[in-house]
Amino acid sequence: MNPILEAHGLGRTLAGERPVVLVHDVDLTIERGCFTTIVGPSGCGKSSLLYLLGMLDRPTAGSLLFEGRDMSGLSGDVLAQTRLARLGFVFQFHFLLPEFSALENVMIPMRRRGRLAPDEVRARGFALLAEMGLEGKERKTPDKLSGGERQRVAIARALANDPALVLGDEPTGNLDSVSSARVVEALRRLAHEEGRAVVCVTHDLDIAALSDVRVEMLDGRVEKVTDQRAGR
Amino acid sequence: MNLRGISFLVSIAVRHLARRKRQTAVAVSGVAVGVGFFLAVSAMMIGSQNDFVEQLIEAAPHVIISDELRSPSPQPGTRRFGEGAVDLRGYKVRTEVRGIKGWQGIVEAANAVPGALASPSLTGGVTLRLGGHEEALAIVGVDPEVETKISTIEDQLRVGRLRDLETVQGGIIIGEELAARLGVKMGDIVAASTSSSKARSMRIVGLLKKGQAMISSNSGYVLLREAQSLLGRPFIINRIGIHLDDPYAAQEVAARLEQRFGYKAESWQERSSEFLSLLVTRNVIMYSVVSAILLVASFGIYTVVSTSVSDKRRDIAILRSIGFSERDLQLIFVLEGIMLAAIGVIFGWMLGYVLMEILASLSFPIAGEDQSVPLDRSTRQYVIAAASSFIAGSVAAWLPARKAARVDPVDILRGAA
Repeated sequence: MNPILEAHGLGRTLAGERPVVLVHDVDLTIERGCFTTIVGPSGCGKSSLLYLLGMLDRPTAGSLLFEGRDMSGLSGDVLAQTRLARLGFVFQFHFLLPEFSALENVMIPMRRRGRLAPDEVRARGFALLAEMGLEGKERKTPDKLSGGERQRVAIARALANDPALVLGDEPTGNLDSVSSARVVEALRRLAHEEGRAVVCVTHDLDIAALSDVRVEMLDGRVEKVTDQRAGR
Repeated sequence: MNLRGISFLVSIAVRHLARRKRQTAVAVSGVAVGVGFFLAVSAMMIGSQNDFVEQLIEAAPHVIISDELRSPSPQPGTRRFGEGAVDLRGYKVRTEVRGIKGWQGIVEAANAVPGALASPSLTGGVTLRLGGHEEALAIVGVDPEVETKISTIEDQLRVGRLRDLETVQGGIIIGEELAARLGVKMGDIVAASTSSSKARSMRIVGLLKKGQAMISSNSGYVLLREAQSLLGRPFIINRIGIHLDDPYAAQEVAARLEQRFGYKAESWQERSSEFLSLLVTRNVIMYSVVSAILLVASFGIYTVVSTSVSDKRRDIAILRSIGFSERDLQLIFVLEGIMLAAIGVIFGWMLGYVLMEILASLSFPIAGEDQSVPLDRSTRQYVIAAASSFIAGSVAAWLPARKAARVDPVDILRGAA
């Protein structure tokens, strides 16, 4: 076990006259080098759990340890900084900035972080896009790219700051089967070859079958965690 | 955040604005028009004000000491029996000879003030007569040599020089309007008389231009000696004009001299206090009009940034998920407002400059003479215009930018997924 993220009794309830429980009492450990999928019917709280794990949303109960550090109660700025430096998100709809070319989209996290010199940022942007099989498309704006290409740009952008944890919210949900297979392959490679932790929410059971750990959710709870790796 | 991070936020703001060119252009022109007209209007207002104040200052000596007393000295009876049990009334009062007593001492004291020069003079009323025509005239008897140093009379002469009073026996300088009414020209002779003296002949040696701000059309200049004898008041002075190197010290100098000698000493500020308060009102009006223009301009900025925020909610969510903080997002949109203001200011400066050039090239006939519009083209106005635009722009952008910071990325992501 090599945990990067540990959730203990994690819960999220929308306050209101009739409180809505999105996520309830989730205990979950995410490992490095492991491709984890979260599956379950629509509205079961998969995405809500992912936002909690990705520190985009704050839990109303329980605690979250990221790289051994308790993240609950930290300021929004610290969480933003953590997302910037350690996390990468890929969403169902590619979510690229429309005014920026593929290359510029990939450079956004690096430029915001400001660690690398401009030419290094550029070189890394080209390299990441090349890794995703997008040579020659660097200058194209999102509207000139196909759905699969955009999603791969989004993955390249998620990887820009070399994150330890990559989170996908239905990353293949909007793609045809060929594109989908390429994206899944890319995500598996991130976990297996680069040792990152990859967590994807999906309703595609074929993808879930290809993952190392499958987390099944129902009504905001984790019903079952299956380790599908051989020999475990 | 480091500099690279900030410059990146700037580039995002630029992209957002570049996307909505027409709105940007409208907002920018709002600021530009505001700034441009502010520059033109304030240049005119301040220019004419400076011009006017200069005229106020230079039209007459900076401080005038007259033989008036702010409160008359008590009559001998009152002085003697002031504390008496019976109030004396109707006793014979002593008639004092009017004029400044001990004026030599006052002139000396005034000249002792650094940068000051005092010129004693005698004023009085005479009647000019030519043929059957009579005109009342307030004459000022001066020492031409000193008077030319303390006033701008020399510039106000259409023809002749003040010094000619010394060389011509019975010389007099009058306004050209009066001369026209009497039907006299340079070198002509008129009769001057007062109630107490018989008429004597005076020769016109100079004519004052008409339409001078502070000089009445019915005043004239003669030699001091001439005035004293004409008015039958030998050796008497009833006015001392003081010129100061620093006109703004006039009030202080006047107060000091008045306290010391008791005679009424009036500074140019006191003399023209109505005008000066009028100028304050003018400035208040100008700045309120300009503030209104800039306020309207800032509505344009508000609209652009506000629509930008609501259009970019998705982008805001993406950037937040990438790791931009609430403050980053707020800054991006405030920067948009500041950039709109900055571009507007640059165009506004150009517009203002052009407008001023146009105004400067115009000349209007004022009082029969072509005069160009007095303009004040100090950089101070450019700075004020820019500073107020930036403040207006940042405030106008800050309001919607707060909304951008408050966008909950999860709401947007959930809605889209």
